Amino acid sequence: MTTTDISVLAAMLRAAIGDGQVISDRQELRTYECDGLAQYKVIPALVALPRSAQECAAVVRACVEAAVPFVARGSGTGLSGGALPHADGVLIVTSQLRAIREIAPQDERAVVEPGVINLQVTRAATPYGYYYAPDPSSQQICSIGGNVAENSGGAHCLKYGFTTNHVTGLQVVTPDGDLVRLGGRAPDAPGYDLLGAFVGSEGTLGIATEVTVRLVRLPESVRTLLAAFRGTDEAGAATSAIIGAGVVPAAIEMMDALAIEAAEAAVHCGYPQGAGAVLVVELDGPAPEVAAQFTQVEGFCRSNGAFEIRVAADEAERALFWKGRKSAFAAVGRISPDYIVQDGVIPRTALPEVLRRIAEISRERGVRVANVFHAGDGNLHPLVLFDDSVEGQAEQAEEVSGAIIDLCVEYGGSITGEHGVGMDKAKYMPRMYSDDDLDTMQLVRCAFDPRGLANPGKVFPTPRLCGEVPGRHKGAHPLQEAGVAEVF
Amino acid sequence: MPDAALAALRGASHEASSRTNHTDGVWLADDEPVLPGIRPRYVAAPGSTAEAAAVLRAAAAHDLAVVVCGGMTKQDWAAPPRRCDLVLSTRRLIGVVEHVAGDLIAVVRAGTLVTELRQLLAPAGQQLALDAPLPGATVGGTVAVSTSGPRRMLYGTVRDLLIGVTVVRPDGVVAHAGGKVVKNVAGYDLGKLITGSYGTLGLVTECAFRLHPSPAASAYVSRRVADPAAAGRLVADVLGAQVVPSALEVDAPPEGGFEVVVLLEGTAEGVAGRAVRTIRLLGGDAAISDAAPGWWSAYPWGSGDVGLKLTAALSGVPALLGAALAARERHGVPLRLRGSAGTGVLYVGLPGTAAPQTVAGVVDALRAAARDVSGHAVVLTAPAAVREHVDLWGPVEGLELMRRIKQQFDPDARFAPGRFVGGI
Amino acid sequence: MTAGIPTQGGVDATKGSAPASAPRDVLGTLAAPSGPPAFDDHHPPRPELVSDCVHCGFCLPSCPTYVLWGEEMDSPRGRIYLMKQGLDGEPLSDSMVQHFDACLGCMACVTACPSGVRYDRLIEDTRQQVERRHARSRRERLLRGAIFRLFPYPKRLRLLRAPLRAYQATGLRRLVARTGLLPRLAPTLSALESLAPRLTRPERLPQRVPATGPRRAVVGMLTGCVQSAFFPDVNAATARILAAEGCEVVVLPDRQGCCGALSVHNGREAEAQRFARRLIDALGAESLDYFVVNAAGCGSTLKEYGTLLADDPAYAERAAAFSATVRDLSELLAELGPVAPRHPLPVTVAYHDACHLAHAQGVRAQPRALLAGIPALTVREIADADICCGSAGVWNVLNPEPAAQLGERKARDVLATGAELLVTANPGCLMQVAASVQRIGGTLSLAHTAQVLDASIRGLPVTHLLTRSTRSASSRPPSATR
Repeated sequence: MTTTDISVLAAMLRAAIGDGQVISDRQELRTYECDGLAQYKVIPALVALPRSAQECAAVVRACVEAAVPFVARGSGTGLSGGALPHADGVLIVTSQLRAIREIAPQDERAVVEPGVINLQVTRAATPYGYYYAPDPSSQQICSIGGNVAENSGGAHCLKYGFTTNHVTGLQVVTPDGDLVRLGGRAPDAPGYDLLGAFVGSEGTLGIATEVTVRLVRLPESVRTLLAAFRGTDEAGAATSAIIGAGVVPAAIEMMDALAIEAAEAAVHCGYPQGAGAVLVVELDGPAPEVAAQFTQVEGFCRSNGAFEIRVAADEAERALFWKGRKSAFAAVGRISPDYIVQDGVIPRTALPEVLRRIAEISRERGVRVANVFHAGDGNLHPLVLFDDSVEGQAEQAEEVSGAIIDLCVEYGGSITGEHGVGMDKAKYMPRMYSDDDLDTMQLVRCAFDPRGLANPGKVFPTPRLCGEVPGRHKGAHPLQEAGVAEVF
Repeated sequence: MPDAALAALRGASHEASSRTNHTDGVWLADDEPVLPGIRPRYVAAPGSTAEAAAVLRAAAAHDLAVVVCGGMTKQDWAAPPRRCDLVLSTRRLIGVVEHVAGDLIAVVRAGTLVTELRQLLAPAGQQLALDAPLPGATVGGTVAVSTSGPRRMLYGTVRDLLIGVTVVRPDGVVAHAGGKVVKNVAGYDLGKLITGSYGTLGLVTECAFRLHPSPAASAYVSRRVADPAAAGRLVADVLGAQVVPSALEVDAPPEGGFEVVVLLEGTAEGVAGRAVRTIRLLGGDAAISDAAPGWWSAYPWGSGDVGLKLTAALSGVPALLGAALAARERHGVPLRLRGSAGTGVLYVGLPGTAAPQTVAGVVDALRAAARDVSGHAVVLTAPAAVREHVDLWGPVEGLELMRRIKQQFDPDARFAPGRFVGGI
Repeated sequence: MTAGIPTQGGVDATKGSAPASAPRDVLGTLAAPSGPPAFDDHHPPRPELVSDCVHCGFCLPSCPTYVLWGEEMDSPRGRIYLMKQGLDGEPLSDSMVQHFDACLGCMACVTACPSGVRYDRLIEDTRQQVERRHARSRRERLLRGAIFRLFPYPKRLRLLRAPLRAYQATGLRRLVARTGLLPRLAPTLSALESLAPRLTRPERLPQRVPATGPRRAVVGMLTGCVQSAFFPDVNAATARILAAEGCEVVVLPDRQGCCGALSVHNGREAEAQRFARRLIDALGAESLDYFVVNAAGCGSTLKEYGTLLADDPAYAERAAAFSATVRDLSELLAELGPVAPRHPLPVTVAYHDACHLAHAQGVRAQPRALLAGIPALTVREIADADICCGSAGVWNVLNPEPAAQLGERKARDVLATGAELLVTANPGCLMQVAASVQRIGGTLSLAHTAQVLDASIRGLPVTHLLTRSTRSASSRPPSATR
């Protein structure tokens, strides 16, 4: 797109949403060039900061009119490059759409704008005895809109499910620039479950401008223990024993020695000395139920070799257990100059075997790998450490990271459990899905976004064009002519 | 006259299966009404996903309209298809492909009965936490219509439990989405799109489900009250307490009054403790029982009756209960009301003999009441005479996008055309 | 996750596709870098500290300007990104300076950062580059000049305590008249007037105060600028508490000047170094076990004298040694442990974390513990405690509108606790919150931690703290002879 086009579009956007809401200064634009996955950088042509759903729709309509792609961004904390800007496109940032419209405990719902921070929903609902269950590690800053786009998970999803299980209604701006409501406060709206298709679509089906979420009753009792093991095998066996006995904890989290070292360096969480692995297990629910199962869990930890078990005596100690776990990603920055956070899923029963194979790969290639994961649902977060200033280390780390993803697919798992595909993993999609599978997903894309303007280049490995585009036709698409994309 | 379509269907079926008698897979419907009011020409019962795909490719080539059927429990739901040349039955797509107890997942073929699956999983101490309101329903039909029962309150519905799906598209292409692990955000969640799509987007052949441990103990605590306000208060009290019910149901038989029933599940000690608390909460003559009431997990209507589904924001449940009772009074019909008050989903049954105009009046009243509490009123099933007088779906948000989805998946409108919202 | 992972197959448009990264001359504002690079070689923000940032965004919700405006450039992560651009050769543009200037320096992001990024060091280094290298508008220069000719000088500040007409007649009027400073100070001053009635007689602090009972330590104390001008009673209370807890207190008020905190926080490096040397010279001869500070902003600067004077061979060592003795009042009292008996104060207080105490010095538990140690006193927490009240040194004078918004936010959160008394350990916060509470029509008494402890140790009735007066708790100067 030409510079004139951009200045025309900038003028359109300024007219639509106000001068101060459009950024075109190059230095300022560059602060938006990456999200939480900073290895990918693209300077957007423009940044728009709408303050209402109507303004957001106006921005999208302007993009449609100018045939310019747009990318939505919340707090910019995503770890798959899902909010990576498009060089010729508009980055639509929802950070000023941050009103909590309503906390409705009587309906077990909250209605919020997409820029509202995840944890703020819980903080607003807590006085009523409710909370918002999905709790990604970045919950203190990630936005609900971003959670919707990525179908974010978190430690407590083992019991409570993911964002998709907790969003009951959306107002979205479609890629045509229309405002549409999907679902609402009541369950089971008639028609296709477009809400279910939208959640986790990573900004490729439109932009959420209002989100209705389920609020969950705060549990009567929460009990958390930290169990230290000599190694991940024992910790894995304890996990299997707990699940196998029919206990569904709110969370079971595991960290290995290297991850523990990093967390200690960062937040001084005081995990037991000499631990080769720690499990954080949390049970919640009615007090008698929790008490009975907690004893069971302690027993399984001991019988599988836990050499120290700490039970959180109060909220402060519980917070400390979790602090080590939740800050682990960023904390790894203290023990390694650079690292890649991987996110893959394996069937839980394959855990010990896969961990052994990751250790083998790590040994063979001489690349250190720290492991932090949601053990209860087999969601691994291997952290591949390297030093970018040493020639060749970055490439090696990439290879190890890719090999781990291959392992996940080999064991029947997934290439991403919660970080999303985004830019980073689009290339891995064919390892998990056939061409036909991907084509079928594209049918949904074409229904929502026939022009392919919503976050193009993400999720899917190769660009494909939609067969029928409503509205203007301009002859063959240049990508099609060049043989880069196919119409189907 | 040689039947080219039949030959093609049989050829496809034969080639894709190892069976020697090719008439097994596809046969003429022989003018027998396979579905009420519909006379298809052919019936196919493929034994595998590959065979189903081959048959559906042949059907596509001959522009045959297709209706998928499973246990025949809900073929009289929604609108009858405008066209039907081929009935595709899942009766041969049965059995559990994989059950990994340690991972709490199972992969099941679509024609498997929900009740059979329950028996297969029970020895492992596990369950697919879906109620089967209609005995004889298959897994595939349950997914296609997204039926649910009382325990949706704790476990959610099909959309929350389906983690992977294999679908044959109307053009015969086989597509998978999701997988065998619970946590997975790779690609679009086609499982949710397929769930509740009434067979208008394709044929579901296999489903991967998240399982739950079977509870060690359970108890039903119930109380009868006279009016909707009292029932509403009990519901709100239970929701606000810490008893974590698996289900919170109300039943209002035509003869009057309400029964409020709370299902508690968990460890023996836990359930006992919570049952005591629940009895205290419900007050009055609240009683505890090991067995479910007779009406539990069944729709409040029978074959040939009118069945409605009402939804509401939780706080609107008492208003909706009141509106249903008011409609019963005003129209003088033996309306039966039942449902998951704890999730805002209620069902209403009216006799099939009720006058169409009366039913239309009730539907209008309930639709207005549901709208006032952010919900919907949908007529799930009704005799043909009634259907002519009522709009089955009421207002549908996002209909334009839904039409586009249908257009993409089934551009020639061959899969159960007309059955779904907006004539999709 | 970190920057620096090499490009993967054509997806990194900064490297993979030229059009994306090439500067595009659009609208004039998208011009290619023009002018010299932002930073020179004299202490630029250190690249290795910049590269510690992994871009996780955990700092965003702690940043007052991000909370207000929701824009990346006005967040710690965005500002670090701007520093990185500066290090990469981008010029120090007006917009870049504007975003650096907008930082309150509250350091809440330092606390929030899991990767341990030293944003405090980065912004200080950046600010002195801005001060040296960026040409501000005439109006800006006048305003800033006036501020730094006023605030670091307690005697000049004291004149502001007189009624408006009084200081209009003084030379101060000429100092502030055309700079726009006066109207910016007026609201805060008037709030202060109503909350803390004008002093009838300037209180004089003794040179030295002997320890009560056995001497446990010899302790110097900073008298400060704003503290001594507006809250002399806080200094008096501090001296009394220290004495009561067994410290011999070396006050020497006449020898002390400004500690340089305001200058450090605004990039006026040379000026800050001058103040630091002067204070070290003034007190260097005394053999002190500890040097106590009761103003959070000053304390954090004094603790960093070693860094501030690291390049000065004549002072580097002495500065570092001096810094090692510096303690916040609450920190020292916690270290020593209480000996003076506390008398009950039946009152509910909200404790407000001063940013430079909580974030810059990591002192959170000690003041709470001291307050909780007072019989009958209840301590309440304030929601969003980690968000700055908007005072931030002279930030509220330079940025009155956003400061007022932050102040009102804080005032609402404070009032929501239902406490009768707000306790904090920084004069700037006291003034800012006082003005904000008044603006939104609330009523609340305010006190420094030292005043509350002093009242408890002396057995004064709680009404002394609740008479809308921050000074009535001390009706007499600390005894110099007893």
